[in-house]
Amino acid sequence: MEESGIRGKLEERESNDMPSTPPIDQVSHLALDIGGSLIKVVYFSSDCNCSVDDDQDKRLPEKNLGIASANRNYCTLSGRLNFAKFETHKIDDCLEFISSKQLHRCGIQMNSDGWQHEALECDKNIIKATGGGAFKFANLFKEKLGVSLDKVDEMNSLVAGANFLLKAVSSEAFTYRDGQKEYEQIDHNDLYPYLLVNIGSGVGMIKVDGDKKFERVSGTSVGGGTFWGLGKLLTKCKSFDDLLELSHKGNNRVIDMLVGDIYGGMDYTKIGLSSTAIASSFGKAISENKELEDYRPEDVARSLLRMISNNIGQIAYLNALRFGLKRIFFGGFFIRGHAYTMDTISVAVNFWSKGEAKATFLRHEGFLGALGAFLSYKGHGLDGLMTHQQVDSLPKSVCWNGDELRSSVFGNLNENGSIECSVQLSN
Amino acid sequence: MAGLTEDHPPLGNDNINEEIKHKSGKDIVETGGGEREMAPPVGSSIQRSTSRPQLDLSGAVIKGNFEEKDPTILLPNQSDDISHLALDIGGSLIKLIYFSRHEERSVNDRRKRTVKERLGVSNGNRRSYPILGGRLHFVKFETAKINECLDFISSKQLHHGGMDSHGWNSEAPKNDNAIIKATGGGAFKFADLFKDRLGVSIEKEDEMNCLVAGANFLLKAIRHEAFTHMEGHKEFVQIDHNELFPYLLVNIGSGVSMLKVDGDGKFQRVSGTNVGGGTYWGLGRLLTKCKSFDELLELSQRGDNRAVDMLVGDIYGGMDYSKIGLSASTIASSFGKAISENKDLEDYRPEDISLSLLRMISYNIGQIAYLNALRFGLKRIFFGGFFIRGHAYTMDTISFAVNFWSQGDAQAMFLRHEGFLGALGAFMSYEKHGLDDLMVHQLVERFPMGAPYTGGKIHGPPLGDLNEKISWMEKFVQKGSEIIAPVPMAPPGTTGLGGFEAPSSKGDTLRSDASNLNVGVLHLVPTLEVFPLLADPKTYEPNTIDLSDHSELEYWFTVLSEHLPDLVDKAVASEGGTDDAERRANAFARAFSAHLARLMEEPAAYGKLGLANLLELREECLREFHFVDAYRSIKQRENEASLAVLPDLLMELDSMSEETRMLTLIEGVLAANIFDWGSRACVDLYHKGTIIEIYRMSRKKMQRPWKVDDFDVFKARMLGSGEKKPRPHKRALLFVDNSGADIVLGMLPLARELLRRGTEVVLVANSLPALNDVTAMELPDIVAEAAKHCDIIRGAAEAGGLLVDAMINIQDGSKEKSIPVPLMVVENGCGSPCIDLRQVSLELAAAAKDADLIILEGMGRALHTNFNARFKCDALKLAMVKNQRLAGKLIKGNIYDCVCRYEPAS
Repeated sequence: MEESGIRGKLEERESNDMPSTPPIDQVSHLALDIGGSLIKVVYFSSDCNCSVDDDQDKRLPEKNLGIASANRNYCTLSGRLNFAKFETHKIDDCLEFISSKQLHRCGIQMNSDGWQHEALECDKNIIKATGGGAFKFANLFKEKLGVSLDKVDEMNSLVAGANFLLKAVSSEAFTYRDGQKEYEQIDHNDLYPYLLVNIGSGVGMIKVDGDKKFERVSGTSVGGGTFWGLGKLLTKCKSFDDLLELSHKGNNRVIDMLVGDIYGGMDYTKIGLSSTAIASSFGKAISENKELEDYRPEDVARSLLRMISNNIGQIAYLNALRFGLKRIFFGGFFIRGHAYTMDTISVAVNFWSKGEAKATFLRHEGFLGALGAFLSYKGHGLDGLMTHQQVDSLPKSVCWNGDELRSSVFGNLNENGSIECSVQLSN
Repeated sequence: MAGLTEDHPPLGNDNINEEIKHKSGKDIVETGGGEREMAPPVGSSIQRSTSRPQLDLSGAVIKGNFEEKDPTILLPNQSDDISHLALDIGGSLIKLIYFSRHEERSVNDRRKRTVKERLGVSNGNRRSYPILGGRLHFVKFETAKINECLDFISSKQLHHGGMDSHGWNSEAPKNDNAIIKATGGGAFKFADLFKDRLGVSIEKEDEMNCLVAGANFLLKAIRHEAFTHMEGHKEFVQIDHNELFPYLLVNIGSGVSMLKVDGDGKFQRVSGTNVGGGTYWGLGRLLTKCKSFDELLELSQRGDNRAVDMLVGDIYGGMDYSKIGLSASTIASSFGKAISENKDLEDYRPEDISLSLLRMISYNIGQIAYLNALRFGLKRIFFGGFFIRGHAYTMDTISFAVNFWSQGDAQAMFLRHEGFLGALGAFMSYEKHGLDDLMVHQLVERFPMGAPYTGGKIHGPPLGDLNEKISWMEKFVQKGSEIIAPVPMAPPGTTGLGGFEAPSSKGDTLRSDASNLNVGVLHLVPTLEVFPLLADPKTYEPNTIDLSDHSELEYWFTVLSEHLPDLVDKAVASEGGTDDAERRANAFARAFSAHLARLMEEPAAYGKLGLANLLELREECLREFHFVDAYRSIKQRENEASLAVLPDLLMELDSMSEETRMLTLIEGVLAANIFDWGSRACVDLYHKGTIIEIYRMSRKKMQRPWKVDDFDVFKARMLGSGEKKPRPHKRALLFVDNSGADIVLGMLPLARELLRRGTEVVLVANSLPALNDVTAMELPDIVAEAAKHCDIIRGAAEAGGLLVDAMINIQDGSKEKSIPVPLMVVENGCGSPCIDLRQVSLELAAAAKDADLIILEGMGRALHTNFNARFKCDALKLAMVKNQRLAGKLIKGNIYDCVCRYEPAS
């Protein structure tokens, strides 16, 4: 579980490990993405400043261009989007966390008057949730916390989350090659279409054509769950992160059969394979009289990581090619900002596309679904708060919905940290 | 042409010579002024005096092309130094292909020569030089036991062109510097060993080239090579040559290569994946401690991947995620369950792990293959390589992936010879053997008992000679175990098949396909042709009864099994009842039973299975144990008995009016068709009376209307109605059935009537014996005997060159009489009681060119096969149904009902 926050508007902070325990009295709101291996939690905590829009205009002129001057009465709520995650099989930890923070109380508990009454609506005790676990654990949440999980479609959430991040958070996307991270500035007008590859336990591949316009085009069962599952069996690692850590120190050539191993150290240049290309993952394990114990867990982990990353990169590229998509964004908990993983995926995409396509990663990779679920609140909670005011004159999505975002959110973030943001609320 | 062969002309000259002859042939036709009738005598007399036939006028007229080549004899000089062996030496298996020539058949029988001249049979223009008829054998060895492979090559002298090379290759001095084509990594590794042990050099062929060449050859040349495999159901696909390219070839070895193939020698490696067979075995070994790939595969059959994989249902609490088309049983994450539980490797069943791994890798390969096929717009994906091994579950998983992702648009296909792609390609890389010209109908696949390998292991030596084969069958029986497959020494559980459930189901009933048994010996018969009168050769299906219906298969299995003891008795008797004959006959019975048992478990084991194939398999088994003609003496006896009463019958017929006679003749054919040793019911009948008694009785019972009765339409075509006399047919092809009464009292009188009406008659008979069917070799003698009692038959037979000795006389006599229309005999190219008209002899194809009437007679050729066949000319199908089940199924009738089906030209 990670939890951290960044304070201070419009500032990017490199360091963000400041533990933050939002005061109960701040605006907070909760959404969940309950996957096969991890539960991702996003909640909002407010600094509790409600300001009118002219305030905000001053502060955020450039972000506010889309707002007609007629729409005057804004209230900006500043605060943080917080991110946390739990292992799914330790769901009790998660329940405890929610309970302890009273997040499920839907705490839009404003200490500024005028908002307090809205909190009552939240007592419907509904939490937006996505992921398979939203179905599986619905009863558990009801029993333990007395809340109903409002299931949000997983793909919708992923896409909404990704679109939100790519548009609202600067320096969200980056490429990775040879240990170098390079941030991509995404032109909002040139964002679509793109391929979103969400690597969770399994892998979903979604072609995104616009806000809420998307299609699941592919996927593979060889994903994060495979890495962890096989890795656990092969190395006896106790956690996913341990396994990743191990792979850092490994050398896959001990186990993988390289092109050179087959062709006596030579390249098979005729078909463009260098002698160091992997011909067969784990292929060397067949030809030697070695048992599992004779291999270093580090090497096994490395081999496994390369196999899976490469495979995902390849399938992703083939799907991007199929639809003529230049950009591929990779998200999901598997990556975890792990350099070698990103490097392998990048190399695979680069190799198969002959440099035509690029793998791009997201800093909030693990929270796409949860963010999307969070953005889906309507008619109660934050959304209700807003619609209470000028529903007609303002798009509902003014604050939290993707591309009509009124500059309300900025981010500043870092992996699994929080995003400093402002919520505009019209008065 | 024999002269040319001895002279060893270079290829180019050969062609030029043919050109010249071709031209001069035409010239002569023109100056000859269309004296077609003169051709047979001239051709025949010259044939007898020289080894090289002179120009054949009728041939020139018929074909407009005189290119006489005898494909069964000729092997031009440039083909002599062909090595008959090629290897693919992989990391775990050595695949070997070798070629053996067909035994010399008696090509000099007079009938054949005459027919060749009359019909102008040639090898066609397709090939610039003929290729040998022969067999391609497929053998596997474990690479670890390479010495077995070397011994095998050495014992068969394969590296010197094969043991049977003398006679056509003996002039060439033994080449000390012989070269063997080989591919695969071992071609490098073991080159020195081959040099040391066999004194041969290995010439390395590029692996990808070989794969593609092998796949192209298989897909073009072998019927039922490719099949789909969905949910345990195998279905053979015949691919039109013109629509073969482009396709995606996925070779799954240690890694996976994906090649886009655009044509012969035109291909590109477009993709691949490092997650392949090596990954399965490597990871599998680490996780399960299996000692071999096959053991691991075997384990998977008892596994349940749900114990290890995270399914959509696991995530969604048992529900589908139907919105995006994922069912609850879809694997969301391979090995995903291994993360969430406090279990170690030891806590999982190796079976489950193996299955999960297999699914993961197969599925992944299928998906990447599909994406690449999509990328290049390829509809067909062929999968080959050692990973698949005919393993049903692997194929199902790959198919499922391709089908799922393409939404049914693309098809995963597998190849029966999947393991031999590389070796075949290496074999093809020898220049000038002409194999690449072979057409699908020129290859016949047989399944002898001689290649005892299984699961990649050789069990005992491949069985070359008869004695080994017999002892092997005897040993087989001594082992006493139930016969589940032709290969007895297979480890239990790997050879049988049986039930198979879809991939989502529990795996404990899954069984290996044991596909290495599905590979037969390929007989190359360059003289086979597609019967030109088929209305639509592409949609033609010879078999009337589909044996993929298991109850049907079971029925015929029983029929054939019950008939077996009788057949064994006949076989023994035909060879004088010696101990040796008995021993061979018993071995035959076991071999055939083993084949039947194998087919019962896996009907598609040897390709698409029809009744015709089953019946032919039996004849092939007999021949394999050197029973040339089990019914020889019976046939002889019946012929004699029938011929004795023929004069009476002819007199009786001649006393009738034309109309009555026509009916009586057809009745006679149907009645005489009762003499059939292939029918159990009829064999019982034989004990109750003499041939003539039975024939008379049978004819008396021929009460019209028959169950299928188009006689009136046929009669109208033959005799017309009222004053108008219809034009007689120009030439009739009579596909004859049994010896004895059937041919003598049934078909010959009908032939005689046609001749009398001015129609040329070609009797089409089997090339090789099958049951008591009359063969093309036997027919001339029968005709000659009949001719003694009948001028019409004699005149026609002489005109057709069947009575060579009488030829001089007829030339004298012909000045006075009108020249009679000829009666000829051609062989049909097969040795089965049924006939597949996609594979007929060159001479039958030539004879068909002028034919406008086809008469198919007997159950085998008119009912079991070709009942639904449509022809470009008039066709009459005549048979008595001597099997209750068939009668019910086909014509909703009873045993001994008759079929007289007449179909005017379509």
